[in-house]
Amino acid sequence: MSFILRRILFYIVAFLVAASINFMLPRLMPGNPIDIMFANAGNTLPPEAKKALAETFGFVERPLYEEYFIYLKSVFSWDFGISIKYYPLTVLDVLMMALPWTLFLAGTSVILAFCIGSMLGVYAAWKRGSWFDSLVSPSALAVQSVPALVVAITTLYVFGLVLQWLPTGYAYAPALDPGWTWSYFGSIAYHAIMPVGTLAFVSLGGYLITMRNNMIGQLGEEHVVMGHAKGLTDSRVRYNYAARNALLPSMTAFALSLGSVMGGSLIIEIVFNYPGLGNLLFQGIIARDYPLIQGQLIIMTLAMLTANLLIDFIYIFLDPRLRKA
Amino acid sequence: MLKFFSIILRNKKATAGMLIVLAYIGIALAAPLITSHDPLKRVARPHQAPTVEHSMGSTRMGRDVYTQFVWGTRTSLIVGFAAGLIVTVIGTLIGVTAGYFGGWIDETLNFITNIALVIPQLPLLLVLAAFIGQSDPFMIAMIIGLTSWAWGARVTRAQTLTLRKRDFIEASEQIGEPSWRIICVELMPNLLSIIGFNFIGSVVYTIITEATLEFLGLGDPLAVSWGTMLYNAQTSSAIAVGAWWEVFAPCMAIVVIGVGLSLLNFGIDEMSNPRLRTLGAINKAVKAQKKFDQNYKNAKGATS
Repeated sequence: MSFILRRILFYIVAFLVAASINFMLPRLMPGNPIDIMFANAGNTLPPEAKKALAETFGFVERPLYEEYFIYLKSVFSWDFGISIKYYPLTVLDVLMMALPWTLFLAGTSVILAFCIGSMLGVYAAWKRGSWFDSLVSPSALAVQSVPALVVAITTLYVFGLVLQWLPTGYAYAPALDPGWTWSYFGSIAYHAIMPVGTLAFVSLGGYLITMRNNMIGQLGEEHVVMGHAKGLTDSRVRYNYAARNALLPSMTAFALSLGSVMGGSLIIEIVFNYPGLGNLLFQGIIARDYPLIQGQLIIMTLAMLTANLLIDFIYIFLDPRLRKA
Repeated sequence: MLKFFSIILRNKKATAGMLIVLAYIGIALAAPLITSHDPLKRVARPHQAPTVEHSMGSTRMGRDVYTQFVWGTRTSLIVGFAAGLIVTVIGTLIGVTAGYFGGWIDETLNFITNIALVIPQLPLLLVLAAFIGQSDPFMIAMIIGLTSWAWGARVTRAQTLTLRKRDFIEASEQIGEPSWRIICVELMPNLLSIIGFNFIGSVVYTIITEATLEFLGLGDPLAVSWGTMLYNAQTSSAIAVGAWWEVFAPCMAIVVIGVGLSLLNFGIDEMSNPRLRTLGAINKAVKAQKKFDQNYKNAKGATS
């Protein structure tokens, strides 16, 4: 499994880079880094908490490399410091409360968008030049260039405020107690329709176009002609011969798009007042809660790297050439 | 230049995109001529719906939305083009260097590119912008430019790698041309379409990202741009009180320039890669064939 090993090594280095950016930034800014980071913490934080924060980020009078190792040690022991806005909660506590909502929102919509988009792409390529292709492909191009922010604001205004069909905030009705009840899960699903729908809509077009273009390339290949010549059914040629091979480059595009989906999720959470990482980040930015903003980068990078690792495993499943050696 | 335009005019998508982009550039250049006062001046009652006098309504602060839109166009375009240029220059430099020289140089640069691709963009930008503080639009252009080059570098590298193996490059090497000459004279002209694609894509990306960063409150609230218009609308809960016009103008502005630039990009892409053409071109070909067959039949009928 040298392929997976190499990938994991790569992800560890990528993670270290993100952590190093966090370490460098406050030290690159003009002025005293402690003053910058905790400028707004003066009134809310007791002095001992401030001291603990400074130690977490390695602001101790030592040579730079020792400070760096102190910071890395706190990152790897999951110590991201104390949140300034939500004192006395730690950054990790605050992030962990919000993370499941973001994973739910981004995960559901990205899977929805990828499946629907790819299916439509396969079909558009198969029926290339038909009314379906000429309707769907140009609209996908148009949708792709509309930013998430605009779609979210428009959806919120039309369905949330003018028509009042769907709730305009929160992950579930505030009156409900979380628990394993139908009404609770029903409420979650009801509140998720707009954010998930918006995010899926924004990313769908890209997957459709990628799949269509890959598929058109595949349809000209000899193994597809061979499939037809053997007298296989259309759907077998379409899915087992062409689409399966077209899926490989699509997966690469999928992995690359995860970052922008995550960004889209941040924005959509803010517009729909959804209690995920994006909303938290927004509060953190307003309060200039630097430990929280930095913890966010670490958590998001981790989420991104984990998703990429999962995609690597799917790759092995799809491409038998990677299984040996 | 004229030749360039005549090539663009051959493709409908590219023509439509070009017209949209030129219209925006016109608005940005003519900003002082088509507005009558400072965009930050209070000229109307708060949240006034669109009237003849204020064609796009007024904001919570009583500022004219139309004037803000026009001046915002200037900022957004300058930021978009500046950051697009930075992204393209860095991406092309890294991509071509990695693809042309190969070996450990390629491995190092490719490694760096992949890392930059895997670290989530928006959170990274947010951390940078948060530490820099209330950044003016040009600072935002800088940080977007310096963090978003990875995609372009990857695509340019891939294209350089395929060109690298072609005979004409090998031939130039055999003659003993210096590397800089091979890169600038032999490689670059063949990379132009990809570099252009990268540039236009980056401009769209920057305009959207700049608006997003400012919407999140990381910009300078006194700068006039589409992003700060959205930020001010959000903080004054314009949507909740039904003042849709305060949001409509910047949203439409972003969507239309995005569509325009993308059309231009896809048009250019279609021209260079005929396989991607959709219905229009195929139908045209089918029609031409039918007409040809018909004429052929008629001609044959006439002679026999």
